[in-house]
Formats: sequence, structure tokens, C-alpha cells
Amino acid sequence: MKARDAKQRGAGGALGGRPRWQTVLIWVVTIIWFAPVVWIVATAFKPRADVFSLTVFFKPTLDSLLAAFSPPYLVGERLWNSIVVTAGTLAIALPVSTAAAYAFSRYRFPGGQAWPLILLATQFLPPVIIVIPLFVVFKNLDLLDTRLSLMIVNLSFIVPYATWMIKGFFDALPPDMEEAAMIDGASRLRAIWEVVVPVALPGIAAAAIFSFVVSWNEFFFALVLTRDHAVTLPVALMSARTEQGDAWDIMASMGLFIIAPMLLISRFVQRYFVKGLVSGAVR
Amino acid sequence: MAVVRLVNLEKRWGDVVGVANQSLEINDGEFMVFLGPSGCGKTTTMRMVAGLEMPSAGEIWIGDHNVTHALPKDRDVAMVFQNYGLYPHMTVRDNIAYPLKVRGTARAARAAQAEEVARKVELEQLLDRHPRELSGGQRQRVALARAIVRRPQVFLMDEPLSNLDAKLRSSMRAEIWRLQKELNVTTIYVTHDQIEAMTLAHRVAVMNKGVIQQLGTPEEVYNRPSNLFVAGFMGSPPMNLLPARLTDSVIDIAGKKLTGLANGSHGDVVVGVRPEDVALSSPEMGLLTGQVYMFELTGEAVLITADVQGQKVCVRCERSLRCEIGATVGLTFQREHLHVFDAQTGARLQPD
Repeated sequence: MKARDAKQRGAGGALGGRPRWQTVLIWVVTIIWFAPVVWIVATAFKPRADVFSLTVFFKPTLDSLLAAFSPPYLVGERLWNSIVVTAGTLAIALPVSTAAAYAFSRYRFPGGQAWPLILLATQFLPPVIIVIPLFVVFKNLDLLDTRLSLMIVNLSFIVPYATWMIKGFFDALPPDMEEAAMIDGASRLRAIWEVVVPVALPGIAAAAIFSFVVSWNEFFFALVLTRDHAVTLPVALMSARTEQGDAWDIMASMGLFIIAPMLLISRFVQRYFVKGLVSGAVR
Repeated sequence: MAVVRLVNLEKRWGDVVGVANQSLEINDGEFMVFLGPSGCGKTTTMRMVAGLEMPSAGEIWIGDHNVTHALPKDRDVAMVFQNYGLYPHMTVRDNIAYPLKVRGTARAARAAQAEEVARKVELEQLLDRHPRELSGGQRQRVALARAIVRRPQVFLMDEPLSNLDAKLRSSMRAEIWRLQKELNVTTIYVTHDQIEAMTLAHRVAVMNKGVIQQLGTPEEVYNRPSNLFVAGFMGSPPMNLLPARLTDSVIDIAGKKLTGLANGSHGDVVVGVRPEDVALSSPEMGLLTGQVYMFELTGEAVLITADVQGQKVCVRCERSLRCEIGATVGLTFQREHLHVFDAQTGARLQPD
């Protein structure tokens, strides 16, 4: 904590030496970025009458939040669906991607460097093209409107990207460490778990955040493949567009739940980006 | 402690030969240095002993076990890497204790052993630091401590000193020498630095292009190089190598016919003589004469390079000597300091 305070003071000092127009620009950009978020939070707590007004002063109420949790919106269940789908996706994607990235980074394959490229090439197909065949497949497997189907779909595009991200980190790690571990008596798996993974943790954390954001916000496949039981938050947002018009207060309440974990998680994992764990490994 | 035997060991990648069918026996407790330029196969050979590379052919024996296809962890070897290979996320204490941890030693026992070993390499003050907080020399000492903590059968050291500055290198060299003597563990040490080879080794294997050129004590390798490669590689400044002809015990060199230096007839040869074995003399007394071409002060000696009919001959002289560039000097040397090699094959000719 102390080190961070010192760092921030240092940054503040640098800010003082910055040209005035840069400071102004930074503030303008910050306001442009934050205004919609602030507006969503405000709208979620506005009384229904004030939702369509531009008033800044209002008496906060939990009415729209309560409405969002009750039928027909059922944010509670949608939120649970989103959590299960994302958690399930990450729980499978991270170990699989880490293992695949290690293999691509360290082993020689017949066909050489083509395999990681082929993995990435699977992502060149636009989702619109594969969604209909996927729909048919899941229908035949009786998996339509299940969380499992969403996890499977999420994995199909998260694993390739996460593998590439983590592979980049493994490529940059000198093999000395894991070789030392293997000579010291560890099996290869143990060397990966106790030496490679801890050192590559910033990279794996970055891949995890990326995977989380993509999975949490995934809309297109969830819209097509779910109807009732497995609806996730981004799709639930659509249900607030009713015949009586768009229920912005409900949407804002849902928006709170879509935004909240993102802020929490990025805050929590941030320290992994700051730590330069690799320094000291060589030279 | 064990004998290490390499039997017809070979490593190829496609058409590229890394190590070409080499056999070698390293005695129990011996300090063996693999010496050669980069790409000569010395590191590959060591990595095959460690189990980090699989040989294309041949066998590796450690003690009574054929370990050719064994995993690194089952070979009971320890290795010190050029870039230290420390675990950056662990403290010095955990780094040193890691080999014990993976082998299931109890927590208390491994803490005690790690501390004992740390004391041996003077790291006891730094046990709770991370590798990134250490200097290069300290990191290398951690790597050494981690290697000796487990009392392995064989030490492998892959250019352990090449990342250190010159001063630290000589003190760490002494440290390694002392540790090896004290622990008496069979050691393979890879280096391209002939000083390290000369000072540390019981025996040196000089390698080039995947082939062991000469195997012998540092003295033998230095005093009786078995071919032109070894002659040129060992020694700094390197041995003077001059083309010549040997007919009827007369050496025809740089326009002079010298007798009494070698016997027999051989045609085209290369004559070698080390800078410290050449002496300056007056032009009339010299076996060869030349003009002073370069004058270098190294501190403990003076190096004079003379131009002998277009050939450069380096002479190591007493440090107070001074001379003019372009001055004519004579060069003398003794028969026993002369090395004669076949010009075609590069092999040493003298049988003695």
C-alpha cells in the first residue's frame, strides 16, 4: 500500500509538469467516458416519473430495482445464469488454454508452427455464419436453452484467443526455470504448475480478464440459443423493450449488474499486471 | 558420486549434426571440462546427460544405471545454468530447498539443510530475499547452493560464470573449485573460456563441430595439443602457426632453412610455437628475423608482434622491454617448444 501511495504521489508530481491542454483533455475524456455510467447508475435509482427527464436532483428509490427482480424481468435468475455460464467457461477455458499454450510454446509438432495459426484461423468465420448450424446441432442434442450450450459456444471462441495470449507469455519465459525444476526432481506437469504458471501469472490473469469480459458480455449466441431457462443478463436487457416502450429504468437496473462484477474483478486482478514477476529470472 | 559414461553418443536435428558419435568416460569425482567455441556440441552433450535433450543414438550411463531414456528427475544430477535458472517467485530459501521439497523431505529438515548449504556459499543473510533483489554473483551462488543441497551423483554446470564480470568470475571460479574438491562429486563443466578450463579441470575435453578433438589434463592439452584446432584454441594470445615444409629433417620456414628442430620428411606442415616460448634476440642470432609490427602492454608482460615475411608472430616479453615499430629483431625458440602439424589433416606429427 505504501509503495502505491508513493507511486501516486510521483504521478501527481508528473501531472503538475504536464502542459495545461493535456490536463484539460484528460478531464474531458474522463467525463465523456464516465458520464454514461453515472447516468445509468442515477437512472436505476430514479423514481419512474423522473426517468425520462434530465433532472439531476431526485429522490432515490429502489422501485425499479425491485421491479427488475420480479416477473417478467427476473434479473435474479438471469444474473445467476450469467454467473454460471461465465464461471463454467473460465473454469474450463483457463486450464485448457494454459496447457495448449505451453504445448505450442515448448514442443515441436509435425507441421510446426501451423497449428497455433490454424487454431486462430477458426476465428476468421463470422459468428452469423455458424450460429444457424449451431442452433440445429444444439436442437438435435436437446441442448437448446441450456447453460451448457452457452458454455460450449463461449469456449469455442475464448480458448483460441486465450491460448494465443498465454502462449505469448510462455514464449517470453526462458526455459531454464522449468528445466531447473525438472532436474531438481519435478515432473513436467509439476514444473509447469509450480514454476511456469506462477511466473506467467500476469499473462494468465490478463487472459482471464479478457475471457471474463467476453463471456460476460456475450450477446449474439445467447440471444439465438436461449429462450427462457438460460437467458443471460445482456439478453435480458432486450426484454425491457416492451410494447409499451423501452423501460429505461429497468434497463439501468440490469445495467448495474452487468457493470458491477467487471469493476470488481478488474480492480482485484490489477495487481498482477503491476508486478513484474519475471524480473530477476535472468541476468 | 558416480562414473559417467557416454557410449557412441550422437545428436542430430535432421541433417545438422550436433554431436557426432562420441564416447567418453568421466571418472568418479572427476572435474571434467568441455571446452570449445559456441556451437561445438559441448552444451548439447551436457544437456543429453541432464536428460533435457534426447540423444539420436548411443547410451548414457551414470554409475550402474543406463539413463539414456530416463527423465531428468530420475537421473540424480544437479545443474547450474548460464542464466541461473532460479525460480523468481520464490525466496532464496525456497529456491535452495526446492529440490528437497519435490523429493518429499520434511519441512524442518529441508529448512535446516537449506540453511547449512546457504552458509557454505555465504548466503545466510539473504535467505528471505527474492532473486530479483540479488546481484549476479549472489544469484549464481543461490544456483550453486540449490545444486549442492541434495548431494547429487553428478554436477552439471553450463557456463556458470559467463554472465559475471571479470573480478567476480575469478572469485566464483575459486568457489566452484573449492566446493567440488570438498564434496568430491563428479562434475561436468561446460565453458568456452580456456582459463576456466585450465584452472578448474582434472581433464579437459576440447570439442569442435560435435567431435572431441583432444581429451587430457589441462597440461597435456596445453603443452601437447593433438591437432591444429586445439593448438589455436588453447592459449591467449594464441599459438603462432606458420606454414612450412619439412624435408630431410630440415624445416623450410619463412625463407630460412632450420635444422635440428624436427626429424624426418613430411612435405607441407604447420609449425606452431607459443608466444611465451619465443624469445627476442639480435637479428644475427635469431632463427627467424622480422620487423616489429605491433607493441602491446598487457601489464604483466609486453606482447610484440613481428612481421616475418608476411607472417605475424607474437612474442611475449619481459614487461620492461620497449622497442620501436619497424625495428628488425631476431626470434629464437627451443626444439622442445616447437609443435609440428600436418598441413592437410591438422594432426600433430611428433610422436614424442
